[in-house]
Amino acid sequence: MKVGIPKALLYYYYGPFWEILFEELGMEVVVSDDTNKKLINEGIKASVPEICVPIKIFIGHSIDLAKKNVDYIFVPRMVSIYKGEVFCPKFMGLPDMIRHGVEGMEDKILTCHIKSKNDDISDYRNYIDVAEKLKISHDKLKKACEVASEKWYRFREYNKKGHHILEAIDMVNNDIKLESIKKYDNDVKLGVLGYVYNMYDGFVNMNVIDKLKDLNVDFVTFDMLDENELRKYIDDMDKVLFWTFSNKLLGAGYKFFRENEVDGVIHITAFGCGPDSFLGKLFEIESDDTKVPFMTIRVDEHTGENHLQTRIEAFVDMIRRKKAKAVMGG
Amino acid sequence: MKVTFPYMGTVIIYKKLLELLGHEVIVPPRPSQRTIDLGVKYSPEFACFPFKVIMGSYIEACEMGVDTIVTSGGHGPCRAGFYGEIHKRILHRMGYDVDVIIFDAINRDKDKFMENVRKIKGKNSWIKLSKAVKFTYDLLKQIDVFDKEIHRIKPYEEVPGSTYKAWQEIQKEFDLAYDKKQLKKAVERSREIINSIRLKKVDEREKIRIGIVGEIFVVMEPSINMEIERILGELGCEVERSQYLSEWVDFNLVPSFLKKTHEEEVLKKGEKYIEIIIGGHAKQTVGFIVDFKDRGFDGVIHLMPFACLPELVSQSIIPKISKEHDIPVLTLSIDEQTGKANNLTRIEAFIDLIRNKKLGKFVV
Repeated sequence: MKVGIPKALLYYYYGPFWEILFEELGMEVVVSDDTNKKLINEGIKASVPEICVPIKIFIGHSIDLAKKNVDYIFVPRMVSIYKGEVFCPKFMGLPDMIRHGVEGMEDKILTCHIKSKNDDISDYRNYIDVAEKLKISHDKLKKACEVASEKWYRFREYNKKGHHILEAIDMVNNDIKLESIKKYDNDVKLGVLGYVYNMYDGFVNMNVIDKLKDLNVDFVTFDMLDENELRKYIDDMDKVLFWTFSNKLLGAGYKFFRENEVDGVIHITAFGCGPDSFLGKLFEIESDDTKVPFMTIRVDEHTGENHLQTRIEAFVDMIRRKKAKAVMGG
Repeated sequence: MKVTFPYMGTVIIYKKLLELLGHEVIVPPRPSQRTIDLGVKYSPEFACFPFKVIMGSYIEACEMGVDTIVTSGGHGPCRAGFYGEIHKRILHRMGYDVDVIIFDAINRDKDKFMENVRKIKGKNSWIKLSKAVKFTYDLLKQIDVFDKEIHRIKPYEEVPGSTYKAWQEIQKEFDLAYDKKQLKKAVERSREIINSIRLKKVDEREKIRIGIVGEIFVVMEPSINMEIERILGELGCEVERSQYLSEWVDFNLVPSFLKKTHEEEVLKKGEKYIEIIIGGHAKQTVGFIVDFKDRGFDGVIHLMPFACLPELVSQSIIPKISKEHDIPVLTLSIDEQTGKANNLTRIEAFIDLIRNKKLGKFVV
């Protein structure tokens, strides 16, 4: 049986786990193509106009999988991965939205509720609905979860050692040893904040990562930091945001702004992102207070990339000049 | 303490409660173009529309000298639960020294909740507080009865505008009531006012009933939803909303063993389409569409603020519900763009379609 996994949204965080999970369950796993123009357009056509780009892309990937004749498309309902916190409503209603909103999907959706106390979502009880639909015994499911979990932890370990997610996935898949990748040591270091699906989908962000590398800039993302460390920075707030990944970004952002570890901060957000409308404001306030340069890049389904190139170059130039001035001025 | 609150729906309710506790209450002006402009200017660009309107409202209230804002919080997943936190930060950065009291669910942080209650309670006794709450609740229940009735009879008034005039008078009556006796009198007076409206006789088969569903703020606050109930009334439709303040209170604040609300039934009807509560009123929205159909309504208008997170999920599913239950639904997304003509045209066309469909049924 073929199970399709859309290469969108949290694929960039949990993909290494889900892929192995379904392989271990004896399924043929099909991952959708990299995001491309055609795929995005299909997604746009099938979704309501106002919804954010990442969801449109996810729907595009689901359609892509349906065309690849998979038996099921895996669309988990992400409910919570931290006590008292939840996901954005669109994640919580994602299976509903696709099942009832996209034509021909009703019988294809394979879903389950994911609830966990922390980032580790490998508890087999999360996937019982899936196992039942695929007629797989609980024992087999349990074992598969263990195997997949082991690999996911390895992926996270590489990630936390400073390799960004795409590199870490690649390293895990090809069994590359940790030492064999060289470290960068540039004069400018940026904190780049963005959800994994905006950061690592090269199509939607027009290869921001490569652009930064071309400019000889080092960067840190939230996923390279330890979860518990991120929490430290938001613990003293009266009330934290409701969405776990937003809180991760908030923690990372506060760390970047307050610890003086980076020369500037870039926030990559998607058009129409609700949580980011508040998150971005909190960053703005923080940047005002700490005087650390801050820039917001908003990505959407448009694909002209010159403006992005210009803005990133200008931002980095500004930082380099500021640094040079500081040195000259003593 | 000069207190204000977010402007939504029949504002005399919040005013009443705070006044009964001896606070000086400043009611912000009804949201106007200026309110929206102010709100848009100082809010994050992609914040939802209710956030911006309330932002503007707070600024206007601050200009009037308010020093305390009382509002409700929440715990997601909808953004509305975080409004207060961001509003507070923005107001402080603008230089307004206001205290923002945010009421979150009691079971989350009991101490904080009680601290807030004490702030509001002031020097009043607990008995007085509970009496004030009970009285406001009764008043709210009564006024909602009239709110519903007004929009049911509006399309059949003989003298255009007489129903709305009556509604203004009724609100004034309630505004003047400060104890049980006065409330009883207000109810009697309001009943007389309603009875004095002359109505046309209309054949049952020609009546058109429209339900309004969607996000609570745009559904309840006429000044920002183009007074949609009035528009529909003038087009000859009876209107009922999915949200009334008293029902919100029943559902959210009254402990569950004391009640059996209609809303729970409605949520069950929505289960098939949205399995779990995903924040805001998305599940209620889909449930109410089915509920309105079951109760014989002819069509539903779905209102949502631009880019509202939960309502986008319901919007995605609505075409299917509409088809499966054979009920026309029109989604209107509301934002700071205040040109009415385009929405008016859509509403008129929608009602025309419903009317033709209905007539066609009887002719054939």
